[in-house]
Formats: sequence, structure tokens, C-alpha cells
Amino acid sequence: MHAPSEHALESLQSGMAAALLAADPAGQALPEALFTGAHAGAVGLRVHRNTVLGALSNALRLSFTAVDRLVGEDFFDRMAIDYARARPPRAPQLDEYGVGFAAHINGFPGTESLPYLAELAQFEWQLAEAARARAAREAGPVLQLDDGVRLRFAAPLWLHAARYPVARLRDAILAEDTVTLAAIAAPGPADPAPTNPAPAGTAGFHYAIWRTSEGVNVRSLSARSAGFLAAVYAGATAIEALAASGDADSAQVLGEEILPAGFVQVELPPGA
Amino acid sequence: MSRSSIAAPIPAQAGIGLRLPHHAMVLAERPAAAWLEVHPENYMADQHSLAELELIRADYPLSLHAVGLSLGSAQGVDGAHIARLRHLVELLEPGLVSDHLSWSVASGHYLPDLLPLPYTEEALRVVARNVSQVQEALGRQILVENPSTYLCYAASTIPEAEFLAALAQRSGCGVLFDVNNVYVSATNQRLDPAAVLEDWCRALDARTVGEIHLAGHALVQTEAGDELRIDDHGDHVCSEVWALYERSLAQLGPKPTLLEWDTRLPAFGVLQAECAQARSRLDIAQERRYARAV
Repeated sequence: MHAPSEHALESLQSGMAAALLAADPAGQALPEALFTGAHAGAVGLRVHRNTVLGALSNALRLSFTAVDRLVGEDFFDRMAIDYARARPPRAPQLDEYGVGFAAHINGFPGTESLPYLAELAQFEWQLAEAARARAAREAGPVLQLDDGVRLRFAAPLWLHAARYPVARLRDAILAEDTVTLAAIAAPGPADPAPTNPAPAGTAGFHYAIWRTSEGVNVRSLSARSAGFLAAVYAGATAIEALAASGDADSAQVLGEEILPAGFVQVELPPGA
Repeated sequence: MSRSSIAAPIPAQAGIGLRLPHHAMVLAERPAAAWLEVHPENYMADQHSLAELELIRADYPLSLHAVGLSLGSAQGVDGAHIARLRHLVELLEPGLVSDHLSWSVASGHYLPDLLPLPYTEEALRVVARNVSQVQEALGRQILVENPSTYLCYAASTIPEAEFLAALAQRSGCGVLFDVNNVYVSATNQRLDPAAVLEDWCRALDARTVGEIHLAGHALVQTEAGDELRIDDHGDHVCSEVWALYERSLAQLGPKPTLLEWDTRLPAFGVLQAECAQARSRLDIAQERRYARAV
């Protein structure tokens, strides 16, 4: 914004913007004398306030489907409106607006019984980012193996780590699988159980998320596979990537977890 | 991508507002539609949907109807947003580009709504300046649409129709005439929509009108018990708006006409049926024009 501002109009617009986003609309009310016509200005302002906040809530709802389902529509709107007031968007492409939502709802009052909520939101944001990406397998890294075999990896691909089993949690919420949800909410004695969180401050669950022209894919990974993939996407050679997996029997990483995954294509040498 | 069949301007026929949930069906079935219109902001961060739109664009004339330029902002138009729009214009080669006579950016914040302007000389200077900046950056004319209004400013000194006509004259922009918005605004101000439409048609130079919009709206009650119409694009075009559309065509001539439907989005076939209603009225307007010419 470089144009010289027009004072009266700028003042009106900044005042109206503040009134529309205010947590206490009465405290930020614009003078009724500003308005004329069949309805009071407050009526029109209420329409615009509902449109603005409703549009922002819905923009978030599109990305945070399971969070919305888990907490319910009304509570989701409370979190979304609180976020809108704290961090109103700065650009019209609302696809990018939810980037700080997971951090914002971490510890949000009323979510104490859902310690995994922010991690679930962060996972959903990663899925949303993947959904908006353009599939470009040809741009993915390629590993050259000793026997001429080439491994071509998907692009784009993201590695995601969480303390809670967020992919399983999300699936359970969307499928209304109350048994799994209860298991995640109240970890059992078996450790590690597939639904138990990792110790605080650690990442017990790793995922690969990748885009194809057909859709977004998610695969659970072991920590060693996650290390291997991180190295591959950072440009490592096959030997370097296997070393980065931190596994004593490094070939096992390829054989058991990487090769069967949908994010890698095996290309045989000519004549093989 | 073959562009040979779609480089022509948007035809004076009925088009459909394309929304993301219909992409897959449109790609798979290529349903009949004279042309399509999209909101470019939906494709600025979503590269997957943009890739789909590029494929769709190969088979349909396309119009870009922006909602985020904030042409009425006193602070000016965001150069970064103009650049994003220019990228899409260069990529998609749309037949029309448009936005609204409204503002949505203030104090550096974007409010996702079409907020009304006071119709004053100061506001006219601001919008003309901003429209000129956008047209210069895009290297083409844009259309500016009259919005639905729910409040009026005491400071306004210029009737809305005259304001938009003056904007077209000063900036060289065209007009996107939204008939549903005329109806919603007029009824919300307890004015006779037919009389308001006559004012619009008198004020506008028909040659500047590049497109007409039609949509449905909602009728709600305020806390005071008054009726208020909300331009939510969530229903069929009502009979009163069809009547205003017929009068618009009679006075402005046949224009590319778009059916918008955003909330409670129905199946694409419903939009096609709505489109057919506009098409029959456009056909009559075309026949009338030929008859006059002969």
C-alpha cells in the first residue's frame, strides 16, 4: 500500500474494521449519525460482522475438519473468532489463513481434556497444505542403487512428527470410532501401545504425507524410515540416507518400510 | 492447452459461477456451459485447484471475478495482490476481469466482505485512482460491480448509480451490473426496486456494461422484526429479480450474464437449469435487437 491515503475515508474504514473485529462491539460502536436509511447502522454492521467472522470460521473449518467435528460447531466458532480477533488475515487468499491456528488453540480454555487438539490441528494443516500442492512426481529426488536400480520418490512430500497418533486420531474422529477415541484419550498400560502418546517433548509418531494427482496420501513411518526419508529429500546419497536412518541393519529400512510405500517407484535398469 | 476456441471475449450468453466442489465433475463430464467464472483468490494459494482450472480453461471461456482487490480502500490497493492477479490473468487469459465497488482492507487487515463506501467525491477519487492502478498493472480494462448494501452513509452525496457511471467515465473501467444486488439494496432501503433499476439504466452508458450478475438471496428478520435481504448467493433467482433482469436487457441490450451460487451449493445441473432461464430471456433480447436493426 503506497498510495497517499484519503483522510476521512481512511478514518472511516479503520474505525469500521475495528468495530467489525471487536470482541466488545458495543465498546467499539460507530456513531449512529454516520448512517442513514431504513435500518439503523447497527443492523448493517451486524450483517457485516456476521459475514466477516462467518467467512473466517468457514475458511478454517475447511482445513480443520476433524478439529471441528471433535469440539463441535459452536465451540469451533468460538476458537475461530478468537483467532480472527487475535490474528486477522492480511491477504485475501484465505487458504493460507489457518497457518497459526494450531498454535493459537494450544491450551485454549475449555480444551483441557483434549491434550492432543493442537497436534491434531497441526496435522490437519499439513494435510491441507498438501491438498493445495500441485503433484509433481518428476520433481522428486532419485536414489541410485548399486545395481542400476533407481528409486524415484514422490513430490511434493512432507514428513510430520507428533507426540500423539494424530493420523489414527483423525481417522477415528471422522469415522466416529469411539473405541479408538477413548483409547487415545485414556492411554492404557501397554507401552508402546499404538494409541499411547510418546513422552512429553518427544515425537513418537512419524508420517509421510504426499500429493498425487488423485489426492493426498498418508503413511505411518518408523523413526528410522523418517530419518532415511529426511536425508533423501535433503539430497543425500543412498549410503548417506541409510546411515541417517540410524538402523543397525540399514537394508531392512528399504526392504520393509520404504519400498512397499506408495511414495516410491522402483525403476529397473534397461534390459533388466 | 489449446486456446484457439476460447481466446474470444465472453459471449453475450448465460454463464455459470464455477466453484471448487464442481471441478471434478466438470473435468470428467465437460457439461454444457457457455462460459464459466471463478474467484481468482481461490486459486492463488491452491496450486492443485489451479492445475485443474487450467484444464477446464482449455474447454470453456473464463472470467475472473475478484473479491480481494479492495478497490475502495483509502490506503490504496495491495501491490502484492495485484501481482498475484496478474499472474493468473497471464496464465488463464480470461475474457473478463472484475471486482467490486467496495472495500475490504483497512489498517493492514483483510476483512472477507464487500464493505460499502460512502458515495462522496473523496471516495470517487480513491476508487478511480485504485481502478486505474489495477488496469495499468494488468494492461487491460476491468469491470466494477455494484454491491448489495445493508447500510447507507449520511455523508453520501452522489447516488450509487451515478457514482459507478462517473467511475467508469473517469477510470475507463466497465460496469458489472448485478441485478440481484439492485433488488437487495433497494428493498433493504424500502425503495421501489423497479424505480431504482430505472435510475441505474438512465445513469449507465449501456456500452460500458460488460456483464450482468444474477443470484439468489435470503430473507431474514432483524431483532426489531424488520425484513432484511441478505445477498448470500444461496438460492434460486427470485421472480422479482428475473423481472428486473428482463427490464435490464430491454434497456441495456443483451449482455454476458452470470448465475452465481455460493452457499448451499447445489448440483451443477441445478445451475444449468437456472442458466437456461437466463438464456431464454437473452434470446428474446437478441431477437429484439435484430428486429430493431432490421
